[in-house]
Formats: sequence, C-alpha cells, structure tokens
Amino acid sequence: MVYGEEKMKFKLTWKIWLLIIMLIFSLMSIFITPTFLQKGVLITSVETNSTAFEQGLRTGQVITEIDNQKVSNVEDFTIVLNQKFISGEKVKTTFTIEKADYIIYSEVMPEITVTEIPKTKIKLGLELVGGSRALVQAQDKKLSFEEISDLVDIVNNRFNVYGITDMDIRAVSDLTGNRFMLIEIAGATPEDLRELISQQGKFEAKIGEEVVFIGGERDITSVSRSGQDSGIYSCDQSQNGAYFCNFRFVVYLSEEAAQRHADITEVLEVNSTAEGNYLSKSLDLYIDDKLVNSLLISEGLKGRVTTQIQIQGSGSGETQNDAYESAEEELHKLQTILITGSLPYKLEIVKLDTISPTLGSGFTKHILLAALAALLAIALIIFIRYRNVKPALALLLTSVSEIIILLGIASFISWDLDLPSIAGILAAIGTGIDSQIIVLDEAKQSKFLSIKQRMKRAFSIILGAYFTAVVALLPLWWAGAGLLKGFVFTTILGITIGVLITRPAFADIIRQIEE
Amino acid sequence: MEETQKPTKKGLRKLATFHNENYKKLLIIPLILLVFSFVYLGIFYTQHGDIIQKDISLKGGTSITINGEVDAEALTQALSEKLEDLGTREIYDLVTREKIAIIIETTAGIEEAQTILEDYLGYELTEENSSVEFTGSSLSDNFYKQLLIAILIAFFFMAIVVFIIFRTPIPSIAVIISAFADILMTLVTVNLLGMKVSSAGIIALLMLIGYSVDTDILLTTRMLKRDEGSLNERLFGAFKTGTTMTLTSLFAVLFALIVVKSFSPVLSQIFTILSIGLAFDLFNTWITNASILKWYMEKKK
Repeated sequence: MVYGEEKMKFKLTWKIWLLIIMLIFSLMSIFITPTFLQKGVLITSVETNSTAFEQGLRTGQVITEIDNQKVSNVEDFTIVLNQKFISGEKVKTTFTIEKADYIIYSEVMPEITVTEIPKTKIKLGLELVGGSRALVQAQDKKLSFEEISDLVDIVNNRFNVYGITDMDIRAVSDLTGNRFMLIEIAGATPEDLRELISQQGKFEAKIGEEVVFIGGERDITSVSRSGQDSGIYSCDQSQNGAYFCNFRFVVYLSEEAAQRHADITEVLEVNSTAEGNYLSKSLDLYIDDKLVNSLLISEGLKGRVTTQIQIQGSGSGETQNDAYESAEEELHKLQTILITGSLPYKLEIVKLDTISPTLGSGFTKHILLAALAALLAIALIIFIRYRNVKPALALLLTSVSEIIILLGIASFISWDLDLPSIAGILAAIGTGIDSQIIVLDEAKQSKFLSIKQRMKRAFSIILGAYFTAVVALLPLWWAGAGLLKGFVFTTILGITIGVLITRPAFADIIRQIEE
Repeated sequence: MEETQKPTKKGLRKLATFHNENYKKLLIIPLILLVFSFVYLGIFYTQHGDIIQKDISLKGGTSITINGEVDAEALTQALSEKLEDLGTREIYDLVTREKIAIIIETTAGIEEAQTILEDYLGYELTEENSSVEFTGSSLSDNFYKQLLIAILIAFFFMAIVVFIIFRTPIPSIAVIISAFADILMTLVTVNLLGMKVSSAGIIALLMLIGYSVDTDILLTTRMLKRDEGSLNERLFGAFKTGTTMTLTSLFAVLFALIVVKSFSPVLSQIFTILSIGLAFDLFNTWITNASILKWYMEKKK
C-alpha cells in the first residue's frame, strides 16, 4: 500500500442517501420557523382588557419597530420603552408589526411581555424555559372519563377568561387507573395560579344587574348535553352564500331559579327585530365576574315560570362542514360555561412545579456542555481503542446525526423537550454508540466471511439489544401520570432512528472503510 | 504501532490464561457480593422501612430554588426548627463558578414553606426570583409504587425477550442474573453512599437494564451462536468489544457528570447512578455472566 497515492472511492449507497435526506429534513424542520430570518421581538403575552389588547396586539406577533426605532432584541425593547414612561404622562407609542402600525396612548408601559424570536423550532420543556405544571386530582373521589374531560373544559374556559392562552390542559391517567388533570403553562406563570386551579370558578347568569341563576345544583339542576334536547338541528345557506348551522340545548332550572327568571323578565319590554321579537335586556353569562357571553331572550319567555329553558345559537362558515363545526364548538362552549361552578367534588393540587425562566437558560447551557463533554469522552476512548481516525470520526458523525434527526422529528411533531426527554436523548445516544462499536468490531472479525455477512451478524446482536430496550421502557409510559413519557418517547425514537437509519448507513460507511 | 500494541496484547493473553484456569472460582466473588447485598438491603429495610432513602419527589414535600446569593448555612441554622426535614444545596455555574441559586428541600407543604422562607428572607418569592416544586405525599407514594411496578414489568419483559433470543435456559438465565446483580449492587452502593433517591434516580436504574443487557447479549451471541475460533477466542473477542462499549458509556457519563454536578441535582443523580451501574456491569458481564456461560459451554462439549 502506498500511502498518499490511494484515493478513497466513496460510494453513496441508498442507505447513506437515506441518512443524508433525513438529515436535511431534520435541519429544515429545526431551523425553518414561521419567523425565519425576521428581526424583532416576539410577543408572548398581552394582558386582556389592556389598551394594547384592544388595539389588536396579540401573542405570537413580532414587533419590528417601536416609534420607528428598530427593535432587534429584548434589550432594545426595554430601553426604548423605559425611557418613555418615566414622566408618568400619557404618551403615544407606535408598534410596527409586519409593516402595520399599532398606536397606543397610555401613561404606563403597555402590558405586554416579549422574548427574542426563537431561532429554532425545538420546543423546550418547562425545566428549560420556565413555566408551571400542575397535576390536579379530585379530593376523595375517583373521576370517570367524562367527569375529567368536563373538568378540563371548564378549567380551559376559565383560563381563557383570564387571558391565559398559552397553556396545555389535558386529562392523564396512570398505571393504576387514577385520573388527573395536567396543566402546563410555558413561560410566565400567572400569579394566582393556585387559586385559579383549585377553585372551580363562579358562574352567574344576569339580566341587567339582577342575578337570575348561578352555577351549582341549587339553581341549575342539569344541562342537557346529548340526545333530543341538545344538538345541531338545521343547516342553511344564507343569501350571501355563507352557511349557518343552528344548535339548541335545554337547561333545567330549579323552581326557585325559574321563579326568579319569571319575576325579572316580567317587567322587561319587547323589542321587534328582523330576526324576531326579543326582550329588551339580554341574559349575560359571567365567569368570575367577567362577561363571557350574552344571549337574547325570546318574547315567549317573558314572565313565564319555566324550569326548562332552551338556548339556541348558530355557527357559520364558508362550507356547510365549517358551519357545522363552528356550531358544534359554540354549543360545547356554552354548555361548558353553564356547568362551571357545578362540580360535585373538590379539587386538590397533588403536584405543582413553577420553574423560574432565569434558571432555564443556565440549564440549556449546562446540558449542551455536558453533551459536548460526553462526545469528547467517547471520541477519546474510541481513538485509544482503534488508533484510527476514520472509524472514530464516522462513529462520532453518526451519533451527531442521530441527535440531529431526533431533534428534527421532535420539532416536526412539536414534542416538548422536558428534562425526562433530554435524559432519553442521552440514553439513546449511549445505546447508539454501543451498537456502533459492535458494528466496528464485527467488521474486523472472522475475515473468511464476507463483510455483508459480518454486518448481518452485527445487526442480529443490535436488534436483540434494541428489542430488550424497547420492552423495558414501555411500562414507564404509563407510570407516574405520564410525566415520564418524554423519557420513553425520545429513547425509543432515538434507538429506532438508530436501527432503521443511522446504523445501516454507518455499516455501509464502515464496509467501505474496511474494503 | 505494532510495538506499542504487543505488550498490551501479551498482558491480555496472560489474563485470558488466568481466566481460563480460574473462571469457576471467580464466581465466588459475585456470589459473596450478592449475598452481602441481600443481607445489607434486608437490614436497610428493617431500619428505614424501604429499600432506598427517598427524596421529596418520592416522599412528598416542597423544593424551592432561590436565585442569587443566599447563605445556605445561616438559613439551615435559622430554619431547621421550623421546616421539617430541611436540606439545602447550593448550585454553581460550571464555567464562572458563580453561585447561581440555593435549593431548599423540606417535607412541609408549599404554602407553609414559602411563608417561612419569605419571613426569613424579608422579600416575596416570585417566579422571577425562585422556582418551586411541590409533590403531595399521596401522589408521591403512588408515583413511587408505580415506578417500582414499571421496573419489575420492564425486568420481566426484558427476561422474556432474552429467552426468545437465545431459546436456551441457562445462558438466558445468566444474562438475567447479571442484569439483576447490576441493579442490586448499584442500589446497595447508592445506599452506602447515603444518597436520597429521586424519581430521576429510579429512571436511571431502569436505564441500567438496557445498558447492562447490551453487553450480555453481545457476549452470549458470540459464545453461543458462533462457531469459528475456540471458546476462549470468542470470549476474548467479545470481551474486547464489550469493554469498549461499557467504557465509552462510562466515560461519557462521568464527563457529563463533572459538567452538571454543580448545577443540576437531577441530572447529577442520573449520571452518578449510571456510572455506578456501568462499573458493576463490567464486573457482572465479564465475571458473573461470562463464567456461568463458559461453564455451561464446557459442560455441553
């Protein structure tokens, strides 16, 4: 062999191509965000009922300029705004969002919070960006599936009333069949989170200033939610081409509430409109003293004592399907509002984590450093063992591409990378390295076999290890109210990527190095 | 290159000859360790009511991380009477060595802990200056039980897959014993070190099943399913591959541990338990499992 003369002919087999394509796809899915290449700051929350909110500023918008000054990071944003409100006088602020201007007059800083525009689509979990997580259970009661989904709807609604929209509330269960409600809020934590969760909210229906009925079984005996008394009963196309679907459902009131309803409506006047005759005042629905909906009261209900009131409404859309869906959504929302405050059990927060955003950034830094240190250690051992740069390099590259593909898929499906998920990535990489060492050594073994047969042998060991790892992880998916799902998910995803994509490509690369 | 490799190879050959003559006797070491582990855990159980010392994530309680400089010693002295089972830990930035925060753990509830701390510090704890993690005791009991069940099921599933792969009882059992010994010995070491185990620590034990079985499967496949070379040559080949595997994992974990040690107690615990487990895996794969397997293969001849 003449060193230096030999030119390596590197053939790109389909397995290597597959790896390259997956890598490109993953990098795209990580880095191409909706705000790709934009400069500015991202709005993460806008206080409802604030001037900023009224003027149309919303979570998710990107502010590029304030008073025609370029804003490219949070620091710029704070500096520009801080200077303006020292005097305490009413001043004009112009926010430029996507070339449109939003003008706000106020004495105090507009009540919005912003962050830097995310550079990647990787969704970091609570431990890394800060936020809160609560696991809620009913006190002394096992909730049925229906009860827990009602609870989720009610709490969702209530959070919306408070202007908290960037959250995830869902029902979870564990190995022994206990059901919980899991609430996760990324970023800033609402101050009164504990009360917001553990109290179920106050529902009131008012006509003018008078309360007709409140949430709870004393006034509302039941809200029909299925069968004849509830649902969408007609769909029509209006003259301008839009579709409408109408829904109705019945609310059953107690005698007492029915009497109150009659007394209050008795004195109201009747207004005639094109759509029909309605009473002069509407039935206003409040959650925690905040108006959430207003219903017109039809003429026929005036002064009548009835324990069954029918609520009607409609949804519209460009197609009949859209209209139907919108009506369904509206129906569900109204029903949820009406059952707020009527949960026949008390809630208990069994787990509550609020993680300060400041700690999160330090976390990310240390995790990246730890990964780097681990890779360095691996490179060192591999080099000492094989005394050859090529396979060591191939092995490291394979592991790095495994991480990239794993992150790519995670950001593609918007998987939250929480602490367990990151531990899972580490576990997957560790297993990956082990399998690659098996490939390397099998390639060197029993020279009388073809390299193809040797690779086949390597894979029989790798697959054995793969299946034991998968079955060992599965039980954890259900344990602990699903809080450890992240670990199971990223590990299994990682080792599956390894077995299906990166390892075959690595074997092909090694085969060529060996040949 | 050749010159540098020869002596090591010679050393390894010597080891191989020694192993060939004494492998049965070597089994006494794991046997003694296993007996010791069982006895120790038994005594530990009678003293503590459980096989591990649980931290608040498994026992219930509150952990509050306060950003910035807070004197841990002074705080412990002032509050150890008021807050039940008080423990503190300072965390540092690895690069700047700057004190970032202090972690306060107590079995007290969230409101109680927060009020007492606020009184002591003289300022309000908000999400700007602190993080709070609370786990109710009923949930944590339940959590702990489920994690144990998960480990048991995982172990059981793993055993089934191992049986399916090798289809012969003794080699399969050897793999399972080796994995079991890994976990058991790690658990004993964790207790000897006085570590309080968190839910992350239990996950680390579960990760050990995967890591330890890897090398056992490699060993058993090479010994059982291959026919080229002598038994010793195959064992030696597997040993070279297997130790490389475990050593890379072990060093990767140790390096990562150095980085996160000052910063994240959760990750530190995972990495510590993994390092202990991987070290025992070297022992159990190449002494426990290898000896049983070799014995079996020799007998079969």
